Amino acid sequence: MGDLLDRVVLPFASEDDARATCDAVLPYIVDAGGEVVAVHVIEKAGGGIDKAGVEQREAYAEDIFTVVSDACADAGVTCETAVVFATDVADGVFDAARDHDASAVAFTPRQGNRWLDLLIGDNTRDLVKGADLPVVAFPRVDGDDVAADDQATGEGGSDE
Amino acid sequence: MSEQDLAKDLGPLAALTIGVGTMIGAGIFVLPRQAITQAGSFAVVSFLLGGGIALLTALSASELGTAMPRSGGAYYYVNHALGPLFGSIAGWANWLGLAFASAFYMFGFGQYIGNIVGMPDAFVLGPFVVSSVKLVALAGAALFVAVNYVGAKETGRLQNVIVVLLVAILAVFTVFGALEAETANLPPSEGFGPMLTTTGIIFVSYLGFVQITSVAEEIKDPGRNLPRAVIGSVLLVTVIYALVLVAMSAAVDPGFIASLADDEIAVVEVAGLLMGPIGAAALLFGGLLATASSANASILASSRINFAMGRDNIVTPSLNEIHPRFSTPYRSIAVTGLLILAFIAAGTVEALATMGSVLHLIIYGLLNVALIVMREADPADYDPDFEVPLYPFTPILGMLTSFALIAFISEVIIALSVALVAGAVLWYFLYARSRTDKQGILGQYVLSRADEMPDAAVSAASGVQPDGGDYRVVVPLANPETETDLISLGAAAAKANGGRVVALHIVQVPDQTNLGYARDNLDEFTDAAESEQLLADAKTDAEDFGVPVETHTILSHRSFAEVFDAAETHGADMLVMGWGGDSHGSPGRAESAVDEVAGDLPYDVLVMKDRGFDPSRIVLPTAGGPDTDLGAAVARYLRDQYGSEVTLLHVADDREEGEAFLAEWAADRDLADAEMRVETGDVEAAIATAAADATMLVVGATERGLLRRLVSGSLVLDVIDQVECSVVLAEKERSKSVIERLLG
Repeated sequence: MGDLLDRVVLPFASEDDARATCDAVLPYIVDAGGEVVAVHVIEKAGGGIDKAGVEQREAYAEDIFTVVSDACADAGVTCETAVVFATDVADGVFDAARDHDASAVAFTPRQGNRWLDLLIGDNTRDLVKGADLPVVAFPRVDGDDVAADDQATGEGGSDE
Repeated sequence: MSEQDLAKDLGPLAALTIGVGTMIGAGIFVLPRQAITQAGSFAVVSFLLGGGIALLTALSASELGTAMPRSGGAYYYVNHALGPLFGSIAGWANWLGLAFASAFYMFGFGQYIGNIVGMPDAFVLGPFVVSSVKLVALAGAALFVAVNYVGAKETGRLQNVIVVLLVAILAVFTVFGALEAETANLPPSEGFGPMLTTTGIIFVSYLGFVQITSVAEEIKDPGRNLPRAVIGSVLLVTVIYALVLVAMSAAVDPGFIASLADDEIAVVEVAGLLMGPIGAAALLFGGLLATASSANASILASSRINFAMGRDNIVTPSLNEIHPRFSTPYRSIAVTGLLILAFIAAGTVEALATMGSVLHLIIYGLLNVALIVMREADPADYDPDFEVPLYPFTPILGMLTSFALIAFISEVIIALSVALVAGAVLWYFLYARSRTDKQGILGQYVLSRADEMPDAAVSAASGVQPDGGDYRVVVPLANPETETDLISLGAAAAKANGGRVVALHIVQVPDQTNLGYARDNLDEFTDAAESEQLLADAKTDAEDFGVPVETHTILSHRSFAEVFDAAETHGADMLVMGWGGDSHGSPGRAESAVDEVAGDLPYDVLVMKDRGFDPSRIVLPTAGGPDTDLGAAVARYLRDQYGSEVTLLHVADDREEGEAFLAEWAADRDLADAEMRVETGDVEAAIATAAADATMLVVGATERGLLRRLVSGSLVLDVIDQVECSVVLAEKERSKSVIERLLG
């Protein structure tokens, strides 16, 4: 398990998500001496009009990566970034993890809302269910102490 | 598959169906009755003529699209070729035109629902009587806007299925029509006048092809597929329209269409007559799908146009914020949705259709002009895969016919459209001009040949040039002692960016005093002569650098907080301010204002702790990150201006890794000639040592919120107080402006 946080794929959905995830996850990665692969998945319609233009989504990915690079630079963690196009967000995350030889995928669950999840898809669930390498869920840090004891790990079959 | 392939996932069929799907909904399911009643047997000619005009522009749009497959389509081409004045017109016309057209589609949708469900003619809502069609149209619009607000990738693919289904239904319909057709049934023609007026109304049926160009960046192999989709969709719908119209006029008795009741839909009734109830049901169903898919595609296309306009700062980029959960451009969709609802509430079918037509005809005319400009100016990067045949005749004819058709539309609509265009022009001069920095190919072409061009053209071109490109360094001044030093720093940054210095003297006025009174009696609040002297000195100092300078005296009830407002008002790209002692009034009182600013900075900020301006030996500690990038830029400006010796300092755990990092970092930032210094151990101690024999320390804010901590006195870097040289703190802008946060 010592290698689990060697090279961690962090999927980010928004700038706020990036801030929260970095706050929650980076301390662990610093401890483990690992590095970060920041991933933003652009969900494609797969042959229809997308909900937002690709150039617009790429610009948005840049904004997110700025937040992440900042946080990683402050924490002294090496950080790579990757924009991934996929028709399914979870698939895109795992594709990126394979392409970047990641040791795990880590995330912090966002505030859930069953109705919204039903409507727009529950990516947390897809991430955990579709896993083919370790998926680590970190507790959110709500402004104060880092809860170090509350690590939830979910493991799927390793890919290579 | 490569990333590029995945990003560009619209194949030829998908691209074609965007065009066909947007067009077919309007044309054939709503308008034939009006066309046949108004133009008689010439209704077919109206549709063919509309198709011909659309085809001419489709050729131009194809060439521009293959040369510039960018988000935003028509708006982008016009803005690129003709500059932001026309870009503003095209952008607004495209956006509003799509909203009008969507409102019109939703009216059609309302008619179809009404026909299926059967509803009373109108509902009474309090003091208003709303027709049931309008009510359903409003509900339908709200539904489609909501779907796109939340975003569903499925709607995009559904479009393909819907379009194939529609074409099949209409094909069967025309076959039945052809079997029954008799020339004796054809109604008499009403002549050319009504035919042209009808063309103006039904032209709303030909708006869709240009929406293909607005998603051009997502099309696979755009060089091949884009022209096929654009031209193919126009040809396909023109043929379908013509055949359906022939079927509708020739297969039923001449008086049949005119004899229909108001709430009956012509195409459905004809289908019922020709194919029985199943046919009528198929057409009803088709009409629903068609009007819905047209509206849906239009809403999506308009968010692309908003994005492209925001990217060029023609509208505020905050309009294009992406929703953190839905990943949709939710604000743009919400605003478009409100426009659609307002247009439905205020308009009639015919008014909405013709508004959509006229606004698009304006864009089509401009598109053809844009093509001519691109061909004539022939910039080096203009390399279209598809070329318009018979240039220049095709685009000239396309431009003339597009503009000419406008003349046949009702005067009220023309007047409204002229008002909208005038509004867009005003918008450019009052809002966009100071923000956008994109110069059109036309303006560049004319200005670069100023000697050969007629004077009128040159002065017109320079008179409308954007001035948002001007890099503005705002320097608020309070203390005459630090004035020269701040201006020197600001001027170096301005010079490096080809910009100007804006020197401000902010005079604090007590809360109870009216600002107008203060302006007239400046002497009561400050030494007016001293203020004037301060700004005059600033002007001289900046001019010594050969940097243009403007000066302003600002009266405010606040002092420190006013710095940030003033920087925003003066379009700052960079704010250079002093710090320490009483540089800008009492910071303590301004903390809340700084809180606001520090969360999101709309411009770069340099804060100088002034211990004498001597840039001869600069130390720049770095650990990477955007703020240090700004620090690196400052070091570069000073090096280029004053020949400063720059020392880069990096504190690492491992010396070798640190050296490798620093060498690469420096090379990327054009600082490879600097002295590299890698230390281990305590960061602050290393900085203090390095700064000991330096004249200036440039520090990037290591964390966000530098300004806030500076003001509240909680800045952790004690080293800044310990060193003896001047210190420049750099904090990089973050994209959100104050306005954006108010909206968000």
